[in-house]
Amino acid sequence: MAVAHLPAARPYIGRLAAGRALAGAALLAAVAALPWLSGSDPARTVLRARSADQDPTPAQLAVVREQLGLDQGPWVHLAHWLGGLPRGDAGVSWVSGAPVMPQVGTALSVSLTLMLGALVVTALVAALVCARTVFLGSRRRLRQDRTGTTAAVLAALPKFLLASVLATVCGVWWGWFPSSGWAGPQSMVLPSLALGIPSGAMLGGLLDQALPAAFHEPWARTAYAVGLPPGNIARNALRRTLPGMLPQLLPTVVALVGGAVAVEKIFNIPGLGRLALESAVAQDLPVLQTATLALVLLGVSAGILIRALRHALLGRPLRDGALPALHRPPLVPPRSLRWITAACAVALLALVTAGLLRDPLQVDTAARLVSPSLEHPLGTDALGRDLLARLGHGALRTAGVALAVTVVSAVTGLLLGMAPRASAGPTEVASTLPAVLTGLLIAGVTGPSVWGAAIAVCVVGWSPYAAQTAALLEQERASGHIAASVALGAGRLHLLRRHLLPAVLPALLRNALLRLPTAVLVLASLGFLGLGEQPPTPEWGRLLSENQPYAELAPWTVLGPAAALVVLSVLAVTGSALGHKKGE
Amino acid sequence: MRTTSRGLIAALALTPLLAGCFAPGDDAAGGGGGPSGRLRIAMAIPPVQALSPYSNDATVLSKLSVAEGLTALDKNGTAKPALAKSWKQDDDTTWTFELRKAEFQDGTEFTAQSVVNALDHAGAAKPKPRVLSDVTLTAKAEDADTVTLTTKSPDPVLPLRLASPALAILSAKAYAKDGKVSPVGTGTGPFEITKLTGKTGAALDRFDGYWGGKAKAPGLDVTWIPDGTARANALRGGEADIAEWIPTSQAKLLKPDTRHVVSSLRTDSLILNTGKGVFTDPGLRAAAREAVDGTDLVDSVFGGYADPAQGLFGPAVPWAAERRVPATGRARAASVDQVRSETKGTTLRLAAITNRAELPEAATVLQQRLEKAGFTVKLDVREYTQMEGDLLAGRYDALVFSRVTLLDTGDAVAYLASDFTSDGVYNIARLKDAEVDKAIQAAAAESDMKRRQEKIMKAESEILRTDAVVPLVHERVVQGIATDVEGVVLDPRERALVDLDTHLK
Repeated sequence: MAVAHLPAARPYIGRLAAGRALAGAALLAAVAALPWLSGSDPARTVLRARSADQDPTPAQLAVVREQLGLDQGPWVHLAHWLGGLPRGDAGVSWVSGAPVMPQVGTALSVSLTLMLGALVVTALVAALVCARTVFLGSRRRLRQDRTGTTAAVLAALPKFLLASVLATVCGVWWGWFPSSGWAGPQSMVLPSLALGIPSGAMLGGLLDQALPAAFHEPWARTAYAVGLPPGNIARNALRRTLPGMLPQLLPTVVALVGGAVAVEKIFNIPGLGRLALESAVAQDLPVLQTATLALVLLGVSAGILIRALRHALLGRPLRDGALPALHRPPLVPPRSLRWITAACAVALLALVTAGLLRDPLQVDTAARLVSPSLEHPLGTDALGRDLLARLGHGALRTAGVALAVTVVSAVTGLLLGMAPRASAGPTEVASTLPAVLTGLLIAGVTGPSVWGAAIAVCVVGWSPYAAQTAALLEQERASGHIAASVALGAGRLHLLRRHLLPAVLPALLRNALLRLPTAVLVLASLGFLGLGEQPPTPEWGRLLSENQPYAELAPWTVLGPAAALVVLSVLAVTGSALGHKKGE
Repeated sequence: MRTTSRGLIAALALTPLLAGCFAPGDDAAGGGGGPSGRLRIAMAIPPVQALSPYSNDATVLSKLSVAEGLTALDKNGTAKPALAKSWKQDDDTTWTFELRKAEFQDGTEFTAQSVVNALDHAGAAKPKPRVLSDVTLTAKAEDADTVTLTTKSPDPVLPLRLASPALAILSAKAYAKDGKVSPVGTGTGPFEITKLTGKTGAALDRFDGYWGGKAKAPGLDVTWIPDGTARANALRGGEADIAEWIPTSQAKLLKPDTRHVVSSLRTDSLILNTGKGVFTDPGLRAAAREAVDGTDLVDSVFGGYADPAQGLFGPAVPWAAERRVPATGRARAASVDQVRSETKGTTLRLAAITNRAELPEAATVLQQRLEKAGFTVKLDVREYTQMEGDLLAGRYDALVFSRVTLLDTGDAVAYLASDFTSDGVYNIARLKDAEVDKAIQAAAAESDMKRRQEKIMKAESEILRTDAVVPLVHERVVQGIATDVEGVVLDPRERALVDLDTHLK
């Protein structure tokens, strides 16, 4: 397998298609077998979803089972469902008895619209985050590196908390927009902001890190010397860096179609995420399968679109293996970097030490929702537990598990991304798959377990890293110096160690660190399945979600945990930048 | 130039897409309020079966006064006339109902034949509605406005049963061949559903042909908002006139004059597994009972929106307090040291469900109380459907649970029988106690209402004696009602909400 080989079109595309079909089929088969994997009787969950009062007597369950044809097993049902699809018939919902196709169609169109709104906000926020670098870089005034603090802070904001705050402040207090519902373009604004701001910061942060390399390339110097306008240089620099970042849109923005359940709930949006979750909990297979299929198709078509866009942007050089490699110039780290890192480290250390000296489990119903005071520096929660203690005791566990999950996901992603032909399909499929769905499958197999949540997140969490690795490697392999190394007789291991990995790792690391807070929140979002640490164990994600209803009544209950998460994220990002600089 | 045109094309292509995507819910959110006088209602539980009366959705039909049964329940929980003018019991198993003159919303006439048709469909529904699960009902039309109902075995609470929203009488058009039932335009109530938009909203207009007169509100616009905070926000932001079920965490944020509190039929209790594990020992059960105390949950977890439990039945059951029999002969509670030595450090698995936000919090408080009494406790908090199988299989030692004490029969015996008799289908406590079984059977057989209630309370005391269940609090429901709305029905049974008199000032 020649490294600098031109991707010969036919077999490559054939293998890609096979990978996609295989991944999609595997996922659909797993979903079809959900009730049999989970061991919880679908007759009972369906009966329960239809009527909360209904007693699950054997006779009633038998009636439901017969109605749904459950005795035939998963495969007959799957075949029947597949058989209907060519006719546009996805069967009827087990719970409501209504045809599935219109339901999923409506939910999908709602979610797609919301996703487009979020995409606009994402683009705006990303543009703002890297505005300074673009401005200075296009004028050749880029001397100092950036700390990346803004991006880290914004990317660490929990979407559901942002949604709560926006709904309360802009919806209820100021009345600018409807606080919930889906009745017109004005109801799109708040949810799009809640979804787009963290995503935009994440993508902007990645782009911001890649841009200096583009501005440092010889063409930029020449263009500047010739006197081309800065706008022109900026456009070309973006054209140079965007392709490496575009695949991130898939797990970050397109994934919101199925993965924005919390925000859909808060704004009461009848989207696909809620539909999929409801049908998964009720084990309403026809709906769940159709929703999953919609997500798979969406992931694959978005993947194809993004691939086409990348190739259009990079054009001939990629095909001809004549792409100059992007390498970061040595920039002076800003002086504030050290200060910010130190301040964050001290703050976290103080939080943990002060917290560890207190009791995180002591319930005091008399001291409920007490505002910050000397006795309770961060206030208390709804059960009168000291928030400082809960944050302090939760710090190690939260950071540890999130770090472990991120490392496993990143390494898996890196390895799979190195075999892009095989992994492109699974990556696209996994990136739009909500973690709740894998959580349900895992919960079915393992039952409630501490590690279940971590496993469920890892199962889907590798896709951003795989997409990133694949994209960067493709560009790197197409660069001239690789061809030169090959010509000089470099072996594959040498290439990997000296050229390919160094090109991928810094960007991958930044990506992983920016996604760290998301991992914390996703882990906590699986709690209702019995996955992860059980309450009352303090854990940051849980602190945020269990105090969310009190966000307005007692803001300190969520501000503390949110601030802690932000500090952790900033520390991770600036710390790694500092370490990187030291290493050079 | 090229970029501009491309952008233009993209924008043009997106516009119809956007326009198309908002269609559902348009009129639910846009049209209401203001001078039209239509009421905007934010409801909590979205329809699961397109408002079929045989599902969860049945209560929506009665809450919005869309459909009616032969009878209805009054404040004290006794049957009062609705579509039936009067009734009498001919013998143990036969009842005669005299019907009133009424009209269905589709213009057809309400007759004895419509009653027979509706009840036959309910009896044949698969699965059978909960309210008919323990009775076999045969309806026969004697003449145009007389119906005889015959039950296989004596059923003293038949008039209560008939008030269930699941037994609402709809016109013949409502019942499709494939077993589906649609209440859209087929009820007899003062409001007629004109449009149902999936699980997001519904529009209702006043039905002018209603036998009881004309409703004051010209129509209702219903939006389903499952999230409690979002419901409270809709009321506070002026997007809804009525928001049901405001969670306790949001109640304090409502203006005091929009906050209306009503005692609910729900009792939250700690259920102990008497069949397996730690709590097979009555002494340990008694120790658990003494360790937990509902009063400190009321002010903390429930923010004052609950009453400390008096027994299984709370203030929403009006006759419960005066007929209550104190539980006697309870086991003596084990001391802390005894608990420690007898459990030998076995971990007690305490389950709680996330479906009601207060329950996990209550479980955390209880955990601490139980640990003080010497138990070692591990919490397991999950969504209800995720743990129902485990619960019924007895895999937990204790469960914090919220239960409606009068099910849709409107009669307490159904709840006691399913939850506490040896062969009860919902016997999570796995209670097998001959005295309890006997007491519940005695109540079930009693046909005189007053004596039936006394026997129910006797059964309650027998159940509490076993300490299989420790009642904690009786919930209260907070309904959010805007200040310019009058005449909203505050119903502890959660069956009524809007009626003829509900209107905007």
